[in-house]
Amino acid sequence: MASLTHSTPHRMRRAQPMKLLTSGAGIVFVLYVLLYAIYASLQPSALSSSTFTNLVNNSVPLAIAAAGETLVVLSRGFDLSVAGVISLTNVLMAVYPQEGPFGALVSLAICLAVGGIVGAVNGWLVAILRLQAIAATLATMIVCQGLALVILDAPGGMVADWVSYELTDRLFGVLPISGLFVLAVVLAWLVFKRTNLGLGLYAVGADEQAASLSGISVIKVRFAAFVGAGMIYGLAGFMLSAQTATGNPNSGTPFLMLAFAAVALGGTSLSGGRGGLIGSILGAATLMLLQKVLFSGGVSSFYTGIFQGVVLVLAIVFGSAFARLTGRRTTA
Amino acid sequence: MTSQVDVMSKFQAEQDTRKARRIDRHTVSAIAVFVLCVVLILASRLVSPSLGSWQQVLTVLTLASFLVVLSFGQGLVILTGGLDLSLPAVITLGGVLTTTWIGNGPGAWYMLPFVLAICGGVGLASAIGIVWLKVPPFIMTMATSIIVSSAALGLTNGTPRGASPDVLLLLMKGSWLGIPAPVYFLVIFAVVGWIVQSRTVFGRYLYALGTNRDAARIAGVPITLVSVLPYVISAVCAGFVGMMLVGYANGATLRMGDNYMLPSIAAVVIGGSSILGGNGNFAGTVGGAILLTTVGTVIAAIGLEQGLRTIIEGGIILVALLLLREELFERLRGLSGKPRSGG
Repeated sequence: MASLTHSTPHRMRRAQPMKLLTSGAGIVFVLYVLLYAIYASLQPSALSSSTFTNLVNNSVPLAIAAAGETLVVLSRGFDLSVAGVISLTNVLMAVYPQEGPFGALVSLAICLAVGGIVGAVNGWLVAILRLQAIAATLATMIVCQGLALVILDAPGGMVADWVSYELTDRLFGVLPISGLFVLAVVLAWLVFKRTNLGLGLYAVGADEQAASLSGISVIKVRFAAFVGAGMIYGLAGFMLSAQTATGNPNSGTPFLMLAFAAVALGGTSLSGGRGGLIGSILGAATLMLLQKVLFSGGVSSFYTGIFQGVVLVLAIVFGSAFARLTGRRTTA
Repeated sequence: MTSQVDVMSKFQAEQDTRKARRIDRHTVSAIAVFVLCVVLILASRLVSPSLGSWQQVLTVLTLASFLVVLSFGQGLVILTGGLDLSLPAVITLGGVLTTTWIGNGPGAWYMLPFVLAICGGVGLASAIGIVWLKVPPFIMTMATSIIVSSAALGLTNGTPRGASPDVLLLLMKGSWLGIPAPVYFLVIFAVVGWIVQSRTVFGRYLYALGTNRDAARIAGVPITLVSVLPYVISAVCAGFVGMMLVGYANGATLRMGDNYMLPSIAAVVIGGSSILGGNGNFAGTVGGAILLTTVGTVIAAIGLEQGLRTIIEGGIILVALLLLREELFERLRGLSGKPRSGG
């Protein structure tokens, strides 16, 4: 016990700047900057504010979805319902458009509520009834996809003009508005991380038994993670609708794989307890930027996947090798 | 200190009963799943008189043969505590290579094994990433999946051509004594798969590895080999499913594997295996695969619109999961009043 209290502050003091660089978020940030440099050299317009806004707009839905997924992954869970919630909210936005800024607020509230309800069902199944997370969220995902198909059985519909114009625009001509939503998620996360629930999230993910023995309500933490994640997926569906301006009952499907890829790329351990939301957002941005870079480099879009897969594996291999070199324990 | 001892002894006691419980739980699970299948097929007669016939049972079994082969590989991977997300991509790869390289031309007898070997190579690549580079299985197989489907897309320039080799048509379309060939194949495959998983040294190694890696190493299990093989077997199975689908539909598409990702996991889980590895048996998985296929065909036959069908499918997976919960079995056992020590 005594050795623990001695070593902890010492290690933290020494590691602070180094830790930032070797953390998952740090590595993926460096990767992003490098990729952006390549992009700028291939495509001189890459540095213009309109190209950047486009890039941000493209990345935002995936970034937010990956942020939600991170909450569940941190608690040592999996949530496949991300695809279902995004499809469902997208379809709702396209079939029941609400005009004007007030309408947008109503739509946002609906999206968050739908996501929250799905999250609560997931939480009930996984945290309280103790079903296996992959299987239970698989079922809720399928049900959500079905609901989306019932509401809109083929791509179509129109998202409210206010949403699709204003939310993809720039503030003061430079700042992409969609980016502000990501910023809001990040700020909420930074606050949440310091609450008891936020600390509990890491504790439960690292060692459920130890967390429960030290008085953390595992059920409450797990449940909250699913509800929070569900609401964030709702936001992702809202932003996707602003982006595409139309509805598609299968719009969420590509997000399933990519959200997990973004989480892993951002340095969050898939066995829970280690990582964070910011890394996942950067991971998502990197995956989307990679597509742009390959496209401007003249690579056939058929082969984009090969590069995405290789980058994913390399990022993880180098991430853990780099961490080992600088002395951070990867299994901690 | 004393409280620590209490806690320890509590865990100890729980673990002691688990082994005894595990044996009947899986048998009961497998039986329950099969009973559910029969009930569902009989009940479907109420919906429409054309359902619930012998013919429908044969159709279900034919369609289930794809999922049974696929979930055998997936089941082995899950047994060791992993997960294989690359199956749909490998199905597509197997199917596309079969039609473009072989088609209905000559040389099928050596080209088919060659295509399966390529698929096995994909599994080996996943395994290398997982075992040596220490990439989590979930991510590694997702990466190979993205890479393989991208390669299949590039290889065919977006539109796969060619037809099925005759031997595959014979396997999938032939019949003997009024029963379709895939049904015989399913039965043989199920028996062989069960023997491999439950009655061979390799199978026991897989359970050992999935239960406790360190203990397995100390007990002399060849860890590396036993970790790598499931991924290779799983990929070969997926490639073979691709070939079966080619024989069934007499052609390949780039999306032919897409609908098999989630069912392959669901069949294993509904069959009573833990997604965390170390337990379950293939009989349950076969039951899970047949149950899922039954549900699919019954729902399709009712003629509901796609959305409602999907909702019901999801709902049935949920109900199956809820019914097969561990606590439920404990409660049933409590009702039968069998005394248990240490529980």
